Amino acid sequence: MGDSIKSHVRAHTVGATAVVYAADYLNKLTGERIERECRKQLDSGCRALVIDFSDTELVNSIGISILLGIIDIAEKCGAVVVFSDVNSETVQLFEMLGLTRHVSLAHDAQEAISHLSAQPAMGH
Amino acid sequence: MKRNRQEESRRILGQVKREEFVGRTAELERIIAHASEADDSRGLLILLAPLAGVSELLRQTYDALFNKQGAAVPVYFALPAAETTPVSAAIEFLNTFLLQYVAFRRNEPDLCHASLTLNEIVDVAPSTDFEWIEKLVKNYNEHRFGSDDRDFVRFCLSAPHRVPAGNPKPFLMFEAVHLAAYGFAQVPFDRELLRALASYQFPFALAGLRRQIVYAVECAGGTIERFDNLHLEQLKDDDARALVSSAARRNGVPINQETTDLLVQQFAGSPFFITAMLQAAGEKHVSLDTYLSCERLYVDELLGGRLHRYFSAVLERIAPQPEIRRAIVRLLCEAIPPGSRTIVFETWRKRLGVSSENVEDILQQLHTEELVNWDGETVDTEGGPTPWRDYLRSRFRLDALREPRALVVAEVIASALKRAPITITTHLRRLGQLRLREVFESFNSQLVPSMLFDYEHFSEMYRGAPPEEVAAGLASDTTALRLPQVFQAASGASFSTELRQFGEENSVIAHGFEGATYSDENEVVWLAARVESKLEADVELTERWVDLLENLARKSGFMRTQLWLISNEGFSLDANSLLKEHGAFGSSQQQFELLAGRLREEASSGAGTPDEVELVLPMGSDYELIAANTVEQIARRLNFRPEAINQIKTAIVEASINAAEHSLSPDRKIYQRFRVESDKLVITVASRGIVPSNLNGYNRPSTDTDTATDQRRGWGLKLIRTLMDEVEFERVDEGTRLRMTKFLRNGS
Repeated sequence: MGDSIKSHVRAHTVGATAVVYAADYLNKLTGERIERECRKQLDSGCRALVIDFSDTELVNSIGISILLGIIDIAEKCGAVVVFSDVNSETVQLFEMLGLTRHVSLAHDAQEAISHLSAQPAMGH
Repeated sequence: MKRNRQEESRRILGQVKREEFVGRTAELERIIAHASEADDSRGLLILLAPLAGVSELLRQTYDALFNKQGAAVPVYFALPAAETTPVSAAIEFLNTFLLQYVAFRRNEPDLCHASLTLNEIVDVAPSTDFEWIEKLVKNYNEHRFGSDDRDFVRFCLSAPHRVPAGNPKPFLMFEAVHLAAYGFAQVPFDRELLRALASYQFPFALAGLRRQIVYAVECAGGTIERFDNLHLEQLKDDDARALVSSAARRNGVPINQETTDLLVQQFAGSPFFITAMLQAAGEKHVSLDTYLSCERLYVDELLGGRLHRYFSAVLERIAPQPEIRRAIVRLLCEAIPPGSRTIVFETWRKRLGVSSENVEDILQQLHTEELVNWDGETVDTEGGPTPWRDYLRSRFRLDALREPRALVVAEVIASALKRAPITITTHLRRLGQLRLREVFESFNSQLVPSMLFDYEHFSEMYRGAPPEEVAAGLASDTTALRLPQVFQAASGASFSTELRQFGEENSVIAHGFEGATYSDENEVVWLAARVESKLEADVELTERWVDLLENLARKSGFMRTQLWLISNEGFSLDANSLLKEHGAFGSSQQQFELLAGRLREEASSGAGTPDEVELVLPMGSDYELIAANTVEQIARRLNFRPEAINQIKTAIVEASINAAEHSLSPDRKIYQRFRVESDKLVITVASRGIVPSNLNGYNRPSTDTDTATDQRRGWGLKLIRTLMDEVEFERVDEGTRLRMTKFLRNGS
């Protein structure tokens, strides 16, 4: 398990699962940082991504569109994406824009990791 | 020098005492203030509606300034109607100027009325002014016998320039109501006058018929925007009533409330007509306490008194030859097919039997006097006040048809008597009713409850309900109709003779735009009419009106229309169905008044209110978070639930991003306004710049060529519309302005 510092996005890995932490405001800048980190984790062999929103108070539509891009990338890599610790207002936005059709929601990162470890990896 | 009270109130040129001069107080103060302005002040153009009266206003100004004995020396000169050569008018001007200047300097008002030659004025000039006045008169005598009239006119008009620098400056009030009479002279007096005025280095006022002055200024190569403008219309009802009372008192004429109202309405508040009538009544010792006595005197005046002399003088000036005058009267009077009060220029030329140039001169003068409207091609003969039309008809019958005078007199009195109660009824109805056109003129893209245009729905909900229940219901009604932005509202009577029979006030054709852009698709014409019915309007009556308005729309070539009928008591069930079939709106008087009240309220709260916060943020760099934090604080004060607060925050973030992304903003700023109302928070987010054609306030349908990212980037508006209760793009000339409303509901 190690933290990534360069991208300014907090992240760590648990086996083949990467946990990436979203900032307090998910916008274009912070969304692209998450995207960059997720790509890096996928390139490093991760097969599941947990994006944790425990610090996130506000998201905007650009940030959400970047999240959808991350989901697309992960799908192409055969990886699973789970969102954890999303506040109810943000969940409402995700539902409005159809994100929840493509990802699972977990109460927190630990629950997400447990859930993923119980599932077989999707593989290519 | 200390002045006594008697000096302060001397009547010098004024024909009535200051306290009896009513209805133009604001204008009087404006002109006096203009006289006191700095030397570099612009000239004041007093643009006069015909017969609105300006002479007494200027004379009263003169008296006030003279009695004040301040820094401005008043000079009042009225261009004579009888002196029709520029040279004689220029001499008269020079004489008046010097006489009034000397009178002021000697503080001797009586001098203003003295008939002195220029040499005699030199003799009475005070020693401080003797030198320049003597020199001016000497120069005058040298110029007087020169052969260049234009040079001489210029010399006279430039006399105010000769006042030495250290002396009090003149304030020239030049009344040029009769300027048109100088139009045929070799020296273009209007141009010389404007040239002279433009060169003055001190304030002045030029008063004249508005069409004449605008025309003269343009001919002289200027624009009226270079001057300060004061528009003089006919008196408003209250002022006109005060004038009638004052003139009746002065002339010892018994009068009552009913006849006062009749005179005010019949003469449309014209000071000239009102004063003329009361002077005539005083001279003839006639009481004006019945409609009959008023109309009898009116017809006397029309056929042989002041009104007759006035209109005859106008006609004689326009057409000095009797046969041409008769032809003009005939042309203006002859029966014209209903629906067409216009005559083409060529018809005028043939019927008058004069050159095109002469016809142009005649029409130009009739147009200047606003007795016709001439656009260079066609002549609309609907212009002119009621007495003018009565004058024409009676003159035509007497002169052309050779009808017996007694018969004409009897019939004109009868006609005036029959018209009197109609005039008063129309006036009273107008007082009692909100004017349809005024309401239309306030249409400016407001959102209003759509129920106000749907009588059936409204009556189901609120028939018999107390006003407070109706108001509360409408306040919480979220089914809204966006009104168009109306840019012109005119009486339907000016579009159709059929509508004319229902009166000027009862129908309106309003041109406007719907939505946030000026485009062909958004252009719309509303055709609205009041339906006279004591009960709910039935289907037959409603159908007649719908047909009438639809036919008018078709004939006029209106592409997109909206019909709206207003009936005092609303519409029957069948009539409502008919309205719906035709996509027409129907309202009762109650709905109409509620709508008008709402528009008035919005207009009065348009400017910043105490419960309004404004925020200007730069675009970019996450500044939208400042907006989100601000709105959070405001929403908390209103006790919105946390979930609603978050929705509002997200919406404002999205609106800010949209504003930044979609406008080529020159100042890169986002203007935000948060208005707190008792039951809602209204947020507007605006930016300057060019709006891409695919935005314009509406979601563009996605196309095959859009990438997934393009489509996703259109989510902002979708989110805003979902998160807020009302979302509308407001009409702005440049950029966008998004208005979002969140209602505070129980539990919100």
